[in-house]
Amino acid sequence: MAAALLDQPVPMSPSRRRTELVMLLFALAVVLLAFAAASLGLSGKISGLPLYILLYAVLMGAAHLAVGRFAPYADPLLLPLAALLNGLGLVMIWRLQESGRNGNPGVQIGELTSSSTTMQVLWTAVGVAVFVAVLFFIKEARILQRYTYTLGAVGLVLLAIPALLPASHSSVNGAQVWIIFGGFSVEPGEFARLALAVFFAGYLVAKRDVLALAGRRFAGIDLPRARDLGPVLIAWAASLLILIFETDIGTSALFFGMFIVMIYIATQRTSWLLIGVALFLFGTLITANLFHHVMERFTSWLHPFTIANAQGISYQLIQGLYGMAFGGIFGTGLGQGQPYHTPLVQSDFIFTAFGEELGLVGGMALLLVFGLLVQRGLRAALAVKDPFSKLLAAGLSFVLALQVFVIVGGVTRLIPLTGVTTPFLSQGGSSLVASWLLIGLLIRVSNSARQPAPQPIQDEGMTQVVRAA
Amino acid sequence: MNKAIMRISLACLAMFVLLLININYVQAFEVNSLADKPLNSRVFDEQFTFQRGEILAVGSNGNSVVIAKSVAVKGTNTYRRDYPSGPEYAPVTGFDGIYGQSGIEAAENKELNGSDPRLAIRNFTSLLTGKQKQGANVQLTINAAAQTAAYNALVNDGGHPAAVVALNPSTGAVLAMASYPSYNPNELTTLDGTQFDKNDNALLRAAGNPMLNRAIQATFPPGSSFKIVTSSAALSNHVVASVGTKVQAPQPLKLPNGNFLNNDGDEQCGDGDPAMIEAFYLSCNTAFAKIGIKVTAPVLRQQASLFGLNQPLNIPLAVVPSVLPPVPDNDPSLTAFSSIGQYNDQVTPLQEAMFSAAIANHGKLMTPYMVQQVIGPGLSVIQQATPSTLSQAVTPQVAGEVQSMMLQVTQNPNGTAYRTAGPPATSIVIYGKTGTAENGINNSSTDDAVFSCFVPASSGQQPIAVGVIVKGGGFGADAAAPIAVQIIKAFEGQS
Repeated sequence: MAAALLDQPVPMSPSRRRTELVMLLFALAVVLLAFAAASLGLSGKISGLPLYILLYAVLMGAAHLAVGRFAPYADPLLLPLAALLNGLGLVMIWRLQESGRNGNPGVQIGELTSSSTTMQVLWTAVGVAVFVAVLFFIKEARILQRYTYTLGAVGLVLLAIPALLPASHSSVNGAQVWIIFGGFSVEPGEFARLALAVFFAGYLVAKRDVLALAGRRFAGIDLPRARDLGPVLIAWAASLLILIFETDIGTSALFFGMFIVMIYIATQRTSWLLIGVALFLFGTLITANLFHHVMERFTSWLHPFTIANAQGISYQLIQGLYGMAFGGIFGTGLGQGQPYHTPLVQSDFIFTAFGEELGLVGGMALLLVFGLLVQRGLRAALAVKDPFSKLLAAGLSFVLALQVFVIVGGVTRLIPLTGVTTPFLSQGGSSLVASWLLIGLLIRVSNSARQPAPQPIQDEGMTQVVRAA
Repeated sequence: MNKAIMRISLACLAMFVLLLININYVQAFEVNSLADKPLNSRVFDEQFTFQRGEILAVGSNGNSVVIAKSVAVKGTNTYRRDYPSGPEYAPVTGFDGIYGQSGIEAAENKELNGSDPRLAIRNFTSLLTGKQKQGANVQLTINAAAQTAAYNALVNDGGHPAAVVALNPSTGAVLAMASYPSYNPNELTTLDGTQFDKNDNALLRAAGNPMLNRAIQATFPPGSSFKIVTSSAALSNHVVASVGTKVQAPQPLKLPNGNFLNNDGDEQCGDGDPAMIEAFYLSCNTAFAKIGIKVTAPVLRQQASLFGLNQPLNIPLAVVPSVLPPVPDNDPSLTAFSSIGQYNDQVTPLQEAMFSAAIANHGKLMTPYMVQQVIGPGLSVIQQATPSTLSQAVTPQVAGEVQSMMLQVTQNPNGTAYRTAGPPATSIVIYGKTGTAENGINNSSTDDAVFSCFVPASSGQQPIAVGVIVKGGGFGADAAAPIAVQIIKAFEGQS
C-alpha cells in the first residue's frame, strides 16, 4: 500500500537550500527575460531596467534567506515557483499598464495608472514581509491549532464585514466583497479563507473520530449520523449567505469546496464528499432560480455568441476567448497582442492575456507551474506526521488548485465564470499578500515534514547494538 | 488521512488536466471559428496590418494581370487595397474596406488574408523565421481582354443598366463578368471609418444602384432566349420529332382561358406553317407557346432545372437562383407564356450564358467557377480548380439539333440576329438566340434586350458562351447581340 509506505519515517534529507537558490535564480532569469521581451514587443527597445524589477529580485533574495534561516528543511521548489508566478504577474501588469502609454501601441486600460506596477511591487514587499513573519513567528504549524476558534471567529467576521458595510464602502463591479476606506481597499475574503482553513483543520482534527462514526448504511455508502451533519450544514448555509449578500459565487464555491474536501480527508468517508456535492448542486439550483445574477452566469456561459449576449453579459468572456484564439499556439509575443480589448484583463482575466501573448504553450506552462505548486503542497501534507499540519497543508493546497480551476476554467469557458483572483498573477494587494501567506504556511509544514527527527544522545563508543536473531 | 489526500491529489490532477485540454481546444482547435465570431476586434484590427494577397486575371499570352493589390500607406504600418482597373472589375473583385467586403474579396477572404488552414504551415515557418505574415494570391479565370471588351461595350451601349457573363463552355470557367453602371472600389478602401461610411452611403444611394452586380445578383425575364429550353424539352420528350418537323403557329393564338398570345409585331410566322427550326430563327411566339403547352409545365420546369435554374450557385460568389416557378394547376394558358420566357420566369445574365454553354458542350452543363488557383506565398499552389459537371441538360443529339437552330439565328438572312451577329457583323460563326422580354406591370416598361450565344471550339478558335441582358434595351438583336459580338471578337482576336 502506497499510503502505508508514505507513513514510514522520512529518511534523513539534505536541506536542499542550494537547489532552492538555483531554481530561484532560474525563475528570476525567466522574469527578467520576460520583461525584456515585453519591452521589445511594446516599443522595439529595452528602456533600461526599472527599479521595481530590481526591488522584486531583492525581495525574492530576502525570502530565500529567510527560508534558509527559519525553515532550513523546507521544500526547495515552493519559493521559486511562487517567485516565478509573482514575477510574471508583475511583467504582465507592467505590459498592460504601458498599453497606449508613453507612445506604445494599444489602448489605455482605465483601471491601471502609470504607477500600478510600482504599487504591485510594494504589495509584493508586503507579501514577502508577511511570508517572513509567518516563518519567524510560527515555528511549527501545529501551534496554530491553539487558535482554532479564535481564527474561526476572525474568518467569519472577515467574511461578514463587506456584507454589513454600506455598498459605497464594499462594492466594486457588482461584487460586495471589499472593505474600502479612503483610497485603500482590502478584500477580506482572501484572508478569511486562510483563517477558516486553520479553523477547519483544528476543528476537524478534534472531531474527526466522531464525524467518521457510521450512521445508517445506504446504497453501499456509510452515511454519517444525522446529528453530525450540523457543521456541514452551517458551512453550507454560510457559503450560501456569502453568495446571496455579497454576490460572490467564486468565494462561496472555494469556501465550501475547501470545507468538504477537508472533512473528507479528516474522516476518509466518501459519504461526506457526496453530501457536499449534493448540497452544492442543490444550492446552485435554488440560487440560480431565485437570483438573477446567478442565472446570468449560466446564460453568459452557455450562449456567449448570440448578438445580445456578445454585446452584453458575455462581452468580457468572449473578448478573453478571442484573445486566446488570436494568440494561437505560440502567442503574439509579450507586448504584441491586443489584451486591452478584454475588460478587467489585469485582474480576473489576466490568464487570457498570458494566453494571447505567450500562446497555448505559455498558458500550459503557467498551468503546470500552478500544478507543481499544488503538488509540492500536497507532498508536504503527505509527508508531515502531525495530523493538524497534514490537514491544513492538504486543505490549503486543494483550495489553491480549486481557485486556479475556478478562475482559469471560468475565463476559458470550461465552467461558468465567477470572479476570483488568479493567485500571484492578478493585480491587487489582498490576493497577492494572501497567496504569500499561504506559501509561508506550506513552507512551514514542508519544513516540519522534511526535518530530520532529533537524534537520541548516546555514546556510540560505549554501547554495542546487538541484533537478536 | 494519506489515502484521502492521495485521492484529493488525483482530483487536483484531474482539474489541471481539464484546464489543459480546454485551453488546447480554445487555442489550437477553435482558432478559426472564434476568429469569425461577432465583435472580434482583434482580428478586425489586424487585417490591415499585413499585406493581403493579390487578385489576378488572365492576360495575353497567359500572363497574370493584377486587379487587386495591397499598397503600404505612407507613414503608417498599415496597408490599403488598390484596384488598378477601378469599375471594370468591381463586380468581380468587390472591395475590401474597413467595415465590409464583397465579391472575391469576401468569398476568398481566408485565402487572401492568410488565415486559411492550408496556409498554416507556411504561417508557422514565417513565425519562426520572423517573416511577416502574407496572404495567398487568388488567380481568377477572368480573361482580361474579354473583360475589358465587355465593360467597354456596356459603357458604350447608351446608358442602360446591363450585365454580361462569358463562360468557357467546356470547363465552366467564367471568362468575363461585367455590370453597368459600376462603381470604383477604390472609394471604399480608405482606412478612415468616417470617410468610408460617407463614401459607402453615397454609393448605396447613387442613381442606378452601381454596387449591384447585375450579372449574378439580379434577374430578368429571359424572353425568347428561353426558347432554347422549350425546344430542348420538346426534342428530348419527342413532342417534336426533329427541328425539321412542321409546327403550328397561328397568329394570334387563342389560349384556353380566352386570352390571345401574339407574335412580335403581330406578324405571321413565315408562311404560317413553319418547321420548328424556322419558328426558332424567326422567334415565333405562338409556335413555341403551343409546343410548351404540349410539353406541359412540369416537364418544362424539369428541363429548366437541368439547365441550372431553380438552384443557388456559388462560383464562389453567391448567385441568386434563376427561377421558373411552378405554374398554378399547370394551367396551359400560363404555361404558354412561361414557355416563351414570360409569365414569372426570371434569369440572371449568368444563366443566359449557361443556356448556350450547355448546348455548346454537347448538352453537358459545366459548373461555373471563377477561381482557377490559390497560390500561397512561395508560389505553392494550395488550391487548383477542377471543372465539374453540374448536369447533363440534354443528350448530345438534342444539343446538336438545338445548335443547328441557333446557327440559323445568325446565319440565315431572315434570322433575328443575322444583321448584328451574323456575316454582316463578324466573320466568326456565332450560334445564338435573341430575346426581347416584355416587363413591368402591364408591360409598361421598355423591353429588355437579351442575347445568349456561343462559339464552339474549332481550329484557331477558343470556345466561349456569352449571356447579355440590357435592361430597357429594346430588341435583343439590336441592343444585346452587338455586346456579345464585341466580347467574342476581343476574346478570339487575342489567340
